[in-house]
Amino acid sequence: MSLEKPELTRLQRWMQEVVVHPGTVEEAIESESAIREIPSERLSEVVLPSHSMTSAERVGVYHGMYLMRMEEALETDYPVIRYHLGDHQFGHLVREYVQRYPSTSYTLNRLGDHLPQFFLDEPEWHDAAFLHDLARLELAMTEVFDEEESPVLGSEELEAVPPDAWEEARLRPIPALRLLAFKHAVIPNLVAFHEDRPSPGPRRRATWVVLYRRDYSVLRLELSRAEYDLLKAIVEGAPLGEALATAAASKSQRQQAKVFRWFRTWISEGLFAAIES
Amino acid sequence: MQNNRWGLPDLGLGVGLRTTHYPHILSEKPEIGFFEILTENYLDTGGRPLFMLDQIAERYPTVMHGVSMSIGSTDPINFEYLAKVKALAERTGSLWVSDHICWTGVLGRNTHDLLPLPYTEESLAHSVERIKIVQDFIERPLVLENPSTYLEFADDDMKEWEFVARLAEEADCGLLFDVNNVYVSAYNHGYDPVAYIDAIPADRVCQYHLAGHTNKGTHIIDTHSDHVVDPVWELFGHTIRTVGLRATLLEWDADIPPFEVVHQEVLKAGDWRRQEVADVA
Repeated sequence: MSLEKPELTRLQRWMQEVVVHPGTVEEAIESESAIREIPSERLSEVVLPSHSMTSAERVGVYHGMYLMRMEEALETDYPVIRYHLGDHQFGHLVREYVQRYPSTSYTLNRLGDHLPQFFLDEPEWHDAAFLHDLARLELAMTEVFDEEESPVLGSEELEAVPPDAWEEARLRPIPALRLLAFKHAVIPNLVAFHEDRPSPGPRRRATWVVLYRRDYSVLRLELSRAEYDLLKAIVEGAPLGEALATAAASKSQRQQAKVFRWFRTWISEGLFAAIES
Repeated sequence: MQNNRWGLPDLGLGVGLRTTHYPHILSEKPEIGFFEILTENYLDTGGRPLFMLDQIAERYPTVMHGVSMSIGSTDPINFEYLAKVKALAERTGSLWVSDHICWTGVLGRNTHDLLPLPYTEESLAHSVERIKIVQDFIERPLVLENPSTYLEFADDDMKEWEFVARLAEEADCGLLFDVNNVYVSAYNHGYDPVAYIDAIPADRVCQYHLAGHTNKGTHIIDTHSDHVVDPVWELFGHTIRTVGLRATLLEWDADIPPFEVVHQEVLKAGDWRRQEVADVA
């Protein structure tokens, strides 16, 4: 039976449905979404066989490369999760993830943006809560890597603030800064990956971290709960007087000295871009 | 032999800029004609990639090569993407902007693959119209690369080389002629690569690509993961005799060796270019 030539729109929809299908290429060609565009029995009327390959095998070249490319992209952004899960489980994760969150961007750099959400959507995934935390950490690292560069607050600008203006002054963080709170000990997993040691896996322990970029490298500081609360208040725009008073509520000299030390570290690490007094 | 119709310069020999080579390039400052950057890698970053690119673009001519324009797609043109491409071209002083004769997705999705177009009158008219719109928007010639393809559509109205030549003429755009892609597609589809080369309008060609590939026996995949094979060098020789000397770039994207290896590989193209100049003289 000779059928009319499929129009370009239909042909492209069909091919995309086949290419992105998570099963084998035969299953893809027979899938409901592909058949809706072009019936499977018409395959050889649409794609020619070659001297060495059937029509299905030729479409299969594109089908096979799709998941490989998605896996490469997600592995680049989530190396710690891949390390923790191993090749097989990570491959399974990629297949599931791109079905739910396929790329809609011109760049693969944004493909993994929904991975933390994926683990919330799929709580039956083994260790989903831990993987959610790990995904948040790795996503934040990619964001910090790509954020806009900005000047860093220097000591001259700090010294120029009149003493009576400190109470109401506010510090503006650099764009390449992310402040994160986790329910799991994610940092040992990151360290194990970098040191090529076995992944310690999930362990529930509240963890607070600030990620930031200096000289184009992504760095981190692990924080105590009190440090995190103070830095969060400052980053969210609280006046310094108010934020510091809350942090050093005991007014003990020891506590005040500790807060002063944190503050000095954050300034020297370049966490702030400007002071607005 | 003639130059391209826009008078875009023959930049000599170049290589694709890859992150693993940044330190070598910045410290050793190799003598090289130009670098080709992967457009999408620099569109949404204010970090290290852009910092490195700024330093390299200050020292070397650069051209941009994208993979997401999806010129043959039936989806609407993405003007947000094009605005970023244009801004990057201005920032780097890129001499031209290239992408591929393909489509990458529909219905808002991107497969991030260079999917084949059917070589039909409908597809040709559709792509021509879109190329004109894109060129108006980016205010510079769009240079499009012939693809490597792994299948042929049964309803094609013309051969790939006729489609490519008519596309360039009717849309008034440039061509990035990938010699390895011609070899790959000719192997996969069983046609004569020389016939392809001879059909290409020389004055449309602004740049050449060379690369290695992976022969799977039943078909060849354009992997950019190895040295250029001898038959492709022979085709390159035929191309420069037929079309002329153009900016010539080596792509190496997988299993990337040290910069010196990539550089040595593209220098082989210099031997072919010198031979051609000697023959003409």
